[in-house]
Amino acid sequence: MLDQIILNGLMLGAIYACIAVGFSLVWGVLNVINMLHGGFIILGGYLTFFSWLHFGIHPFVSLFPVAMLLFGLGYVLQRTLINQVVSKPVLTTLTLTFGLEMILYNTMNLLFTATPRRVALDMGVLNLGDMLLPYDRVASMVLALSLTGLLFLTMRKSKIGRAIVAVRMDKDAASLMGINVPQIYAITFGIGAFMAGACGAIVAVIFPISTSLTGVFLGKAFVICVIGGLGTVPGALVGGLALGLIESITGFWFGPQNAILIGFVLMLVLLVVRPTGLLGRKGYE
Amino acid sequence: MKPLSQTARKIASVIVLSASLLGSNAMLSAQTIKIGTPLALTGGLADEGKKQVIAYDMWLNRVNSSGGINVGGKKMKVELVRYDYETNAQRAQQLAEKLIVEDKVDFLLAPFGSGHTKVVAGVAERYGVPVVATSASSESIFDQGYKNLFGVLAPNKGSITNLLALVSKNLPQIKTVAILGREDVFPKAVAGTMNALASKAGYKVQSIEYYSVGALDLSTPISKIKSIKPDWIFITGYSKDLILARKQMADLAVTAPVVTMITGPVYREFIDALGAQAENVTSTTWWHHSALLKGDDPWGSTKAFYDEFVGKEKQDPDYVHAASAAALVALQKAIEKAKTTDKAKVREALASLDIKTFYGPIKFGPNGMNTAIEGLPIIQVQDGQPLPIFPAEVSKGGLKQFK
Repeated sequence: MLDQIILNGLMLGAIYACIAVGFSLVWGVLNVINMLHGGFIILGGYLTFFSWLHFGIHPFVSLFPVAMLLFGLGYVLQRTLINQVVSKPVLTTLTLTFGLEMILYNTMNLLFTATPRRVALDMGVLNLGDMLLPYDRVASMVLALSLTGLLFLTMRKSKIGRAIVAVRMDKDAASLMGINVPQIYAITFGIGAFMAGACGAIVAVIFPISTSLTGVFLGKAFVICVIGGLGTVPGALVGGLALGLIESITGFWFGPQNAILIGFVLMLVLLVVRPTGLLGRKGYE
Repeated sequence: MKPLSQTARKIASVIVLSASLLGSNAMLSAQTIKIGTPLALTGGLADEGKKQVIAYDMWLNRVNSSGGINVGGKKMKVELVRYDYETNAQRAQQLAEKLIVEDKVDFLLAPFGSGHTKVVAGVAERYGVPVVATSASSESIFDQGYKNLFGVLAPNKGSITNLLALVSKNLPQIKTVAILGREDVFPKAVAGTMNALASKAGYKVQSIEYYSVGALDLSTPISKIKSIKPDWIFITGYSKDLILARKQMADLAVTAPVVTMITGPVYREFIDALGAQAENVTSTTWWHHSALLKGDDPWGSTKAFYDEFVGKEKQDPDYVHAASAAALVALQKAIEKAKTTDKAKVREALASLDIKTFYGPIKFGPNGMNTAIEGLPIIQVQDGQPLPIFPAEVSKGGLKQFK
């Protein structure tokens, strides 16, 4: 049974990584604690669900268009509103994104209500000896890891990615090098929203989507960023996988009611002994 | 005496107009019964809060369009004063106090669920304001010694007793049970009740575990259940949790001859979210619309309530809708009986109430719980519908083994 528990933890961890990577990027580069992140995930989930319900579009097909819509939303929000206060203390931007989150949350409640909704697709289960891998979880894990990997490559290899890294390391120097910092900020925020939207499309197949989950996903993103380290894609991946495994294994040993608690305890311990997280560092090398 | 200048006349007119408006407002307030209701319009229980709002508005519309509640021969309209407590217990407590102290409501309706009902009941008790609970069935809430708390739902124990009897009779080969409950007031209470009553009825409870509120993954406890191979899997929680639980049972190929989930399957969203996976899951409920009851209330019969609800919402009502409306009916009848809106007298009238309604009989026991309802319905999802299978009066089918 322990091998099934570990496998469950890994599959969950991959999804956690996808939940956190956009949040970590925005926090690390813009120094903005994006309280909208959970709302973006849920909005992505709702868009995916309704396109499946009304038009029969498979969630994995609608993933990219939904993610691009969220990119657009994130870009516009950052360019028009958040950019006005991005150089202010972090509490200012947190307050702004908190207010925007309340608007988004209540708008979704009004439009979609809080009724839990799920893309009811039965994709079957893969048997690997004694272990069972639900295809939707496997596909979600592959998608989540692929998106995370794609983001990592973009940050490393693309001009935009290098520009984002440069701004993260020193925005003044980056500006002197000819990088349009406000544009980079907006693109970064958009990428964060893109990842959130993509994650929403993935989770719509696995979890029932409801506005009441915005806080839950945001909380997970926080914990994962602290565990893995801020501003780094590998950090979000390691943090996500670590949290998924910890919740699974501790739930097995100490009871499921303690799984989330132990995750938070780990976060507190790391804040004391290694505040930068397992892979956290300033900028990319 | 010099005549008043034009300015002075204008000022005097404004003063007189304002005084008359204030006076008429005060008169209107005096002619209106104010009922306060903290509602979960946002947060984790927003879906349930929305159901309460639908039912409250149905009752309010019926009562006010007929002139209001008859209070000692005079009709008084009703005003529902609502606030969103954001599914936050502390906020519920603050808003309950605000409703009593600032809004000066005459009575209160409790929020959804046993946990937040307990919080509001404590405030109501302090101020001596009668409060009627729409959806609290945990005995622990009503054993606090509160004199002002009344609840229209029957206690948890009754539904579990009926469920055990039904399974014992139809599937006598069922011997072992595994229980998984949400770490929250009502679901934990139901899990505990099942543990106690199942053991007493001769079943072997192989495991009882709890999962945290906000859990996004139940694969670990479900994997454990799989390893012990129980005859009966019993899971408690709210809709989101139970949808997740059933999905992960399918992912891990976990099955048993009987699968019971409290209270998800009674809700339409459970069946819609799971599709074929919802089939043959059993549950208990406090009311089913197929009960053909008649009563002395604004609808007069279950059918009338059902027809109005379906006409508006285009779907079947569940027990939350019915119980929410019934709570207001109970308050209405108590006010009519007391012939006054005096809180203490209405409280006494509630305590001695014995009425028949579209929802069922309502008679509050010494602890304030509705003891009049017996034979609480048991449902099983069959062919995509929550079908009542007990008691005989409402049954539309028999208990099927879970495949």
